[in-house]
Amino acid sequence: MAAKTAGKKTKFSFGIAAIYALITLLALICLYPFLNVLACSLSGYNPVLSGRVTFYPIDLTIEAYKQILGRTTIWTAMRTTVLVTLLGTALSLVLTILAAYGLSIQDLPGRRVMTGFILFTMYFGGGMIPTFLVVKGVGLYNTLGALFIPQSISVFNFIVMRTFFKELPDSLQDAARIDGASYLQVLFKIILPLSLAVIATIGLFYAVGYWNSYFDALIYIQDGDKYTLQLRLRNMLFGSELGNAADDVGGTVVMPQTLKMATVVVSTVPILVVYPWLQKYFVKGVMLGSVKG
Amino acid sequence: MRDKNKKGNVRHTLVKAWNYKWVYVMLLPVIVYFIVFRYAPMYGITIAFKNYNIFQGVFKSEWVGFSVFQKIFANKNFWSAIKNTFLLNFAALAVSFPLTIIVSLMLNEIRGVKFKKVTQSVLYLPHFISWVVVAGIATNLFALQEGTINAVLQRIGLEPVPFLSSEGWWIFTYVICNVWKEIGWGTIIYLAALTGVDESLYEAAYLDGASKFQRLIYITVPSIKSVIVTMLILNISKMMSIGLDAPLLLGNSRVMGVSEVISTYTYRIGIEKAQYSQSTAIGLFQSVVNIVILIAADKFAKAIGEEGII
Repeated sequence: MAAKTAGKKTKFSFGIAAIYALITLLALICLYPFLNVLACSLSGYNPVLSGRVTFYPIDLTIEAYKQILGRTTIWTAMRTTVLVTLLGTALSLVLTILAAYGLSIQDLPGRRVMTGFILFTMYFGGGMIPTFLVVKGVGLYNTLGALFIPQSISVFNFIVMRTFFKELPDSLQDAARIDGASYLQVLFKIILPLSLAVIATIGLFYAVGYWNSYFDALIYIQDGDKYTLQLRLRNMLFGSELGNAADDVGGTVVMPQTLKMATVVVSTVPILVVYPWLQKYFVKGVMLGSVKG
Repeated sequence: MRDKNKKGNVRHTLVKAWNYKWVYVMLLPVIVYFIVFRYAPMYGITIAFKNYNIFQGVFKSEWVGFSVFQKIFANKNFWSAIKNTFLLNFAALAVSFPLTIIVSLMLNEIRGVKFKKVTQSVLYLPHFISWVVVAGIATNLFALQEGTINAVLQRIGLEPVPFLSSEGWWIFTYVICNVWKEIGWGTIIYLAALTGVDESLYEAAYLDGASKFQRLIYITVPSIKSVIVTMLILNISKMMSIGLDAPLLLGNSRVMGVSEVISTYTYRIGIEKAQYSQSTAIGLFQSVVNIVILIAADKFAKAIGEEGII
């Protein structure tokens, strides 16, 4: 019996070692493309051309970054993206908080109807062209507003936040109401201070969403000076707006591929910077969202 | 008497509602948002039954019944887009669904807190990277010329692989990119379910001499079976919808035969060719099929004793 258990023990730890090895491999596979991009963006002409760059730079040079950051189009796009991300996140948070708070009040007359009104849009929508026509119709076409106003409330985030608000203890709110606090005061003085974590999480979700979106800019924006970073990047990677080295007078000749990868790095760094904060909370956020209500 | 009661109730509700007037004021911008940007476009669906004319707009364009639908149904590109949507969704699901469960089970066995935390952080990261960047990275890795993977293959004496330019390989690349981006994120829901498994079951099984593998098969998997089934039904109910980003960004003219899906087709017909009525009709067809599948999947889930998905 003892021998048997011991036998199991060794087999068991072999299995565990294999699991550790596999998970490590998987993590490396998740990381490798980032390393490859970074390495390519920092490598010289010939190594990139011959495809020799794998995960470390060869003939280290920051020429690609110099050229990318020397372009006004990139800075304009960066400014637009930052602006849209900030305004969009602010608007989204305000609207989501208002919706979630209002509809978390249990005995609000009409609560079920209004909640149903919102949840219905998860299952049915107008689709691309009718939405496009509405955005055009309200005069948002070719304005930065088109990049955040039409998509400012995510029903999923609304559900997450409302679930969170519902779980807050009622006693505090009731006490404040009895003391004569208005609903707005309850929201600001009681609900919001208790919900900073969930607000931060959902704010980051919205911010990442705005930062990463290119499609709205693709269909709603006409003027190049209102292009977002992701749209510039997309045009550069897959369209005609190639990072043509010949355009940049002076400077060393840089592989278009290297320029592209440098732009990928520039547009991804902000996500990597907020990621540690993001991942502190999002697991909980996802779980709250999966609780339907 | 009854009428009076009813009137009293109405008045009571109105008085109660008046107490909440500021809450309604707070909800007003939200309701306005949903009316303008979510419900007004639903009215715009009427152009699927009209011959949309840019000068006459949504309201005044002439009604044409189902002729727009006849036109789209007669187009073989439309059916090809539907076939491709199912094909890509099915291929991605067939690979990522079992793989996500396996990775979750492996992560669940890891006891080293720090190791688990670091690897999970790394695995979740790709979920937050934009599709533009993912497609850019993929092109850099998989391109026929200058692509890192093909360069390596050639160096070890193998033929280069047309990952992005042959239809079969393109599906492979599409699936790889999807799995890479979402596999870590997908584990969250299973890991949460796994933490809920009763520890005493494992102890009892251990004392009965069950091996690690037996415990996995007879305790762990059955404990999360309900989550697995629900996730499977949920995924199958989404078979008809597909994200636009991946096929649009990874696709190119050479693989259009497999990369053109409903969402990209709607985009090309609607935005690029400005065929508003046709594009809307395609969107409506997709929505209706989606809802039918969703309701069927929900019914099915309830019939087999699982939680509904609506």
